[in-house]
Amino acid sequence: MSWVVWRQYRAAAAITAALLAAFAALIVVTGVQAASQWRSSLAACTASRTCGSLSSSTLFLGSHAIGFLVIMTLGVPAVLGILAGAPLLAHEFETGTNQYAWTQSVTRRRWLAVKAGWLLLAAAAIGGIVAALVTWWSGPNNALQANAFNPGRFDIMGIVPVGYAVFATALGITAGALMRRTLPAIAVTLAGFIAVRAVIFIELRRSFMTAVTSYFPVGSGFAPVGSAWQLGAGFVGANGQPLILPPSTNGAVIGGAAGGIGLPVSSLPAACQQLAGNGRLTRATYHAVVSCAQAHGIRGYVTYQPAWRYWAFQGIETGIFLLLAAALVVVAFAVVSRRDA
Amino acid sequence: MTWLTWRQYRAQAAVAALVLAVFATVVLVTGFQMAAQWHTLLAGCTASRTCASLQEGGTSLGSVLGHDFAILSMLAPALFGALVGAPLVAHEFEARTSDFAWAQSITRTHWLAVKVGWVLLAAAVWGGAIATLVTWWSGPRNAAFANVFQANYFDQQGLVPVAYSVFATALGIAAGAVLRRTLPAIAIVIGGFIGMRLWISQDLRMHFMAPVTTFYGVAANFNAPAGSAVLSGGLADKTGQVVTGSSGNVMTVWIDGAPSTSLPAACQQLIPASAGGPAGPSNATLNAVYGCLQKAGYRQFLSYQPISRWWAFQGIEAGIYLAVAAALIAITFYAVRRRDA
Repeated sequence: MSWVVWRQYRAAAAITAALLAAFAALIVVTGVQAASQWRSSLAACTASRTCGSLSSSTLFLGSHAIGFLVIMTLGVPAVLGILAGAPLLAHEFETGTNQYAWTQSVTRRRWLAVKAGWLLLAAAAIGGIVAALVTWWSGPNNALQANAFNPGRFDIMGIVPVGYAVFATALGITAGALMRRTLPAIAVTLAGFIAVRAVIFIELRRSFMTAVTSYFPVGSGFAPVGSAWQLGAGFVGANGQPLILPPSTNGAVIGGAAGGIGLPVSSLPAACQQLAGNGRLTRATYHAVVSCAQAHGIRGYVTYQPAWRYWAFQGIETGIFLLLAAALVVVAFAVVSRRDA
Repeated sequence: MTWLTWRQYRAQAAVAALVLAVFATVVLVTGFQMAAQWHTLLAGCTASRTCASLQEGGTSLGSVLGHDFAILSMLAPALFGALVGAPLVAHEFEARTSDFAWAQSITRTHWLAVKVGWVLLAAAVWGGAIATLVTWWSGPRNAAFANVFQANYFDQQGLVPVAYSVFATALGIAAGAVLRRTLPAIAIVIGGFIGMRLWISQDLRMHFMAPVTTFYGVAANFNAPAGSAVLSGGLADKTGQVVTGSSGNVMTVWIDGAPSTSLPAACQQLIPASAGGPAGPSNATLNAVYGCLQKAGYRQFLSYQPISRWWAFQGIEAGIYLAVAAALIAITFYAVRRRDA
């Protein structure tokens, strides 16, 4: 059976290998450039003791075109599911080649196990190679921008792309087994993959573990250490309820370090607003207003997932997608075993 | 033939109508919410005469869901091309139904013309319906953020989505006619559509027309009309040569976007060593340097595509995609007429 699978897929394997090689060449060449640029910047700022002010606004690493290509690797699992997963069974059913295969000396289950097994393994390998290249390439940018945990970046690095690739391929296989036609299976695979990814990444990921909330006094600031994933920031009153801030701020503002959100004077208790007077705050009135806000028990807060949970989150998300993939493969086996020849 | 085409595509037409209905529902619901939010904001800022500071106020408009759907709309042309365009000829060849059709009383050219004509018309309607919804939805955001000329926003609105949709479908039809197999044709649509879109939006679009370049004094401020696309800007010397220099060292003092080390020696002398670092040079230092640069004939410049050209750019880009689509259809007719029955 393995030989049959190889014969069926050798052309596709050759094309995939060529595409992977081209991608790797681009990534390695630009990645080495970005890494050397990063090292020289670090050396320069260490010498002048200004590494604290190093940011993405003063330093741009890598190239825009490759940055685009790296973001587009978000689509790699979907392409695997569409072009490899969906036709695996559907195309056999469409052309009737499964009937030929099933009248040979192998059982249906063995036929499916070998085909699906090799394909899922290949999907994991391709997803893993692309993710490894992207992770390595992004190293300096992650260090500079501390955004590896942010939505969009988290999804193309580490081990989650392997989970996505296996899931998308399993979804394609199962959709093909159920629908028995390639094109509808492709449509279902694409829609299902986007929907499941969106639900997990918009709704569920933020609560894999209970978020940490840190409070800080008004007038000072707080930034979580390293590549933390900031979920929210704002101010709470003495009763612990968040203050409602106006959607756009035109008047005087105090603070401003809580994830970039300042506290408009117009949201403070009337007693503090009186201290501010009209127009811009002077140094003296600023301190008076800040102490007044502190006296009224107003504190700033930042809600976030700490940077050290990055790999735990990667593991949880990969686990979810691998479990979903396993369930889908079970469905495919049930469908194929019960199907009339 | 028209009746046959309808019979072949009525299931797809029903699915496409359903998808459009879901899309329209989400866009309309979130769009009306956002429009109401925008009217409230405008009324509030008109009352307090602070509408000018609205853009910088970090105004967040619209829901995440609506925004995600607007971004997803950029995939719609590729979806139509892959699922409707690619199988149009390829699946007939695979299933040998073309042989049956060609043995009837109509010519191959007639057979192909009717199928291709209706499907391209449907592609244009699909792209146009989605673009109309997204353009309407984006109205408040366009007004607030003035970013409608930027890549991604330009690509979701106006005329170009119709042309993208026709192009992706023509690409699928032509790839299917040449390769004679559906799956490879789908792969060509995905790769070709993304490649063409990236190439034109990243490399070509900003050069459709020669940009407007405005020169202004070294100490002056100049902004292009709101919403214009800025190509480049900075400091130019007496001969019009752009002043550039290597960046990376955070101790560099920046004058009008150029590092001080690339300024004339006489002007460099005016900058004390203490001026480096995040705080920047003092106003007195800046004024002295500006005076020196003015004497040396230096000017600032800004190259941009004014927002008044937006529809011209939409027309040019749509024209390019429609011309390529026409060439692809010509290839299709050639391939189908030459094919042995």
